[in-house]
Amino acid sequence: MILLRDIRYRYPRTNWILKGVDLSVDDGEYVFVAGANGSGKSTLGYLFNGLVPHFFGGTLEGSASINHADIRDKSVAELFSHVGLVLQNPDAQLFNSTIEDEIAFGLESLGLSGGEINNRIREISRTLNIEDLLGRSPETLSGGEKRLAAIASVLCLDPPVLLMDEPFGDLDWQAAKGLRQTLLEINRSGKTLVVIEQRVDRSLQDATRCLILDAGSLLHDGPTETAKEVLIKEHLIPNYPNRSQNGPATTDPILTVKDLSHLIQGKEILKSVSLEVRAGETVAIIGRNGSGKTTLIKHFNGLLRPTEGKVVFQGEEIRGKAPSEMAADMGLSFQNPNNQFFKYRVKDEILVGPKIVGKLQEAWLEELWNGFNLRGLLEKSPYRLSEGEKRRVAIASILAMRPKLLILDEPTSGQDGRSREALALLLSTLKDRGLTTLIATHDLNFARAMADRWIILHEGRVVQDGSPQDLCNDEQLIRLGALPDPDLGQPGNKN
Amino acid sequence: MSHLDPRTKLALGLMAIGAVFVAEEPGTLLVECIIILLCLPLLGMWRAWLHSLRFVLPMVGLVFVIGFLSFDIWTSLVLSIRLINLLNVCFIFFRSVSPEEMGGGLNKMGIPYGFTFILTTAMRYVPLIGLKIRHIVDAQSSRGIDLRFKLRNVTNFMALLMPLLVQSFVLSDELAMAMESRGFARKGRSSRKHYRFNLWDYGLMILSLTLLVFFIWWERG
Repeated sequence: MILLRDIRYRYPRTNWILKGVDLSVDDGEYVFVAGANGSGKSTLGYLFNGLVPHFFGGTLEGSASINHADIRDKSVAELFSHVGLVLQNPDAQLFNSTIEDEIAFGLESLGLSGGEINNRIREISRTLNIEDLLGRSPETLSGGEKRLAAIASVLCLDPPVLLMDEPFGDLDWQAAKGLRQTLLEINRSGKTLVVIEQRVDRSLQDATRCLILDAGSLLHDGPTETAKEVLIKEHLIPNYPNRSQNGPATTDPILTVKDLSHLIQGKEILKSVSLEVRAGETVAIIGRNGSGKTTLIKHFNGLLRPTEGKVVFQGEEIRGKAPSEMAADMGLSFQNPNNQFFKYRVKDEILVGPKIVGKLQEAWLEELWNGFNLRGLLEKSPYRLSEGEKRRVAIASILAMRPKLLILDEPTSGQDGRSREALALLLSTLKDRGLTTLIATHDLNFARAMADRWIILHEGRVVQDGSPQDLCNDEQLIRLGALPDPDLGQPGNKN
Repeated sequence: MSHLDPRTKLALGLMAIGAVFVAEEPGTLLVECIIILLCLPLLGMWRAWLHSLRFVLPMVGLVFVIGFLSFDIWTSLVLSIRLINLLNVCFIFFRSVSPEEMGGGLNKMGIPYGFTFILTTAMRYVPLIGLKIRHIVDAQSSRGIDLRFKLRNVTNFMALLMPLLVQSFVLSDELAMAMESRGFARKGRSSRKHYRFNLWDYGLMILSLTLLVFFIWWERG
């Protein structure tokens, strides 16, 4: 069906991204494409539906065909009903104001009649069980619902090949489980499925075949069982360091939250949350998407004011303080590093905070350059860095102010295995130096590797607080849905 | 309102705005204000409108104070009521017409699909850009950059504008990819919605036109 022979491709004014790729994809296969950030996974996907070369331009060498037709001779408008692409960013994929209109868009492009379009909308929404989403606008949907809507908008065109770019992205375990099931059903219905993904612990085991790309070349093309060894060897499945037992954890609380509640438009997002973080600890706040993690941590530095309750930092209630006044002592790094870059050089970007709060310490900056392996990046533009490097720079820019408490919101989001492993090593080093760290995440493997203590947040409430070992297998939490079944999502598990 | 043709909604909106602009007497503006306010519960928008007051009232208050300081109490009253009426008409219009409906209506009026698509997509992304601004402000405030609206913070706003611009460009690029991948450039596009005028459309248009003529006559008389 899809045949690539000695494919080399580069975008305009870049180096070669794909360097001699040979592969064929047959009808009905479920192909998992793995690789580090920048390995060429997405570019390979764009070649399948003709975005490469027709949309991006650039130089394409070698032969690429779909159903014996050369991709060069077919426009994207001709290929879109043969290879359906679901993009990584659902905000770009969902550009209509309701899901119903979203699904109709591609069908209208095909020139179908109104009656036929309405029939297909009904059919696809029944298949994916999204009938209740049809009238809603994309911004009101959860991450999992957005993915399903995006799949529906493409699947309704009935393409023989469905191509998904990082579909598991920021989904929590429950949403990921639902999506895995949906993808399996799509594949069983006879569609060829190509899933490009760097979170290999999710759906790898569902696929019939795995391709691993490394710097634009195929490193592995074969069954998923043999792929796992390569993924571990290449650190695409991260090998986290053993959790450091060092660090001067004390009984002195650095952060105390008492009976904190928060209402948004009458809806209680946080419900009487109380917790304590002691100096030197690494604590993970664990919860599914929408459980209130980000809302909670925004209260710690004053980005949000509690409707009820209080936050005490270093013995002083933070009420009335602006976040910018808290920055010197409490560093908060959010999920998307691109939200903070505005300087031309990495070095200037990192120095912004220390200059503002008046904590420019040369010796400490030297330590940061070395500890975060930043020397080679200092003169580069932050926008030209890989996702892993961006995350490192973002955290370094916070640490440059030497905060007493570091808070990270979903630090592994968008990171490949190597970057997650590097991040874990960095945080271990910081822990050994006595830094108190709070991590809000639904990445349980990372949280297990990093945190001394887990605080489980579920539907806006703290439902448990304890060591990861004790909580991981807590049946009550699993039944509640606050934690997944321990085997869920692990390679080899066919759930 | 849901079964009205979008062209009718557009015409009603334009006539309402026209009526607000021709009125210069506080009495006329007050009558218009009462009519518009009566429409809110009839259209089921009362609660949402009450919610919107927290944004509207400070704006109206500011206009009233500036009008009072610059002119006199009557002028400031006229300016404030006119602003309230305009905001309320826009509120009703944008809550009753989805971007796709507006695009469909404009297409039917002969405006090319490419142009109406840009318009409707821009409307769809306004809340998303608002959310992005919120995220950027949170990220920058958390590392000490004060982005509160104060004169001394003016130079700090580069920290908001640069990431916003870059992310908007990235989003527009991805959007173009998504559109291409769903056949935007394909010829022979159809539309599942067929807009036709019905009795309600004609009735409401006549009623609105009558009201507009009445207000013009009242103002001139």
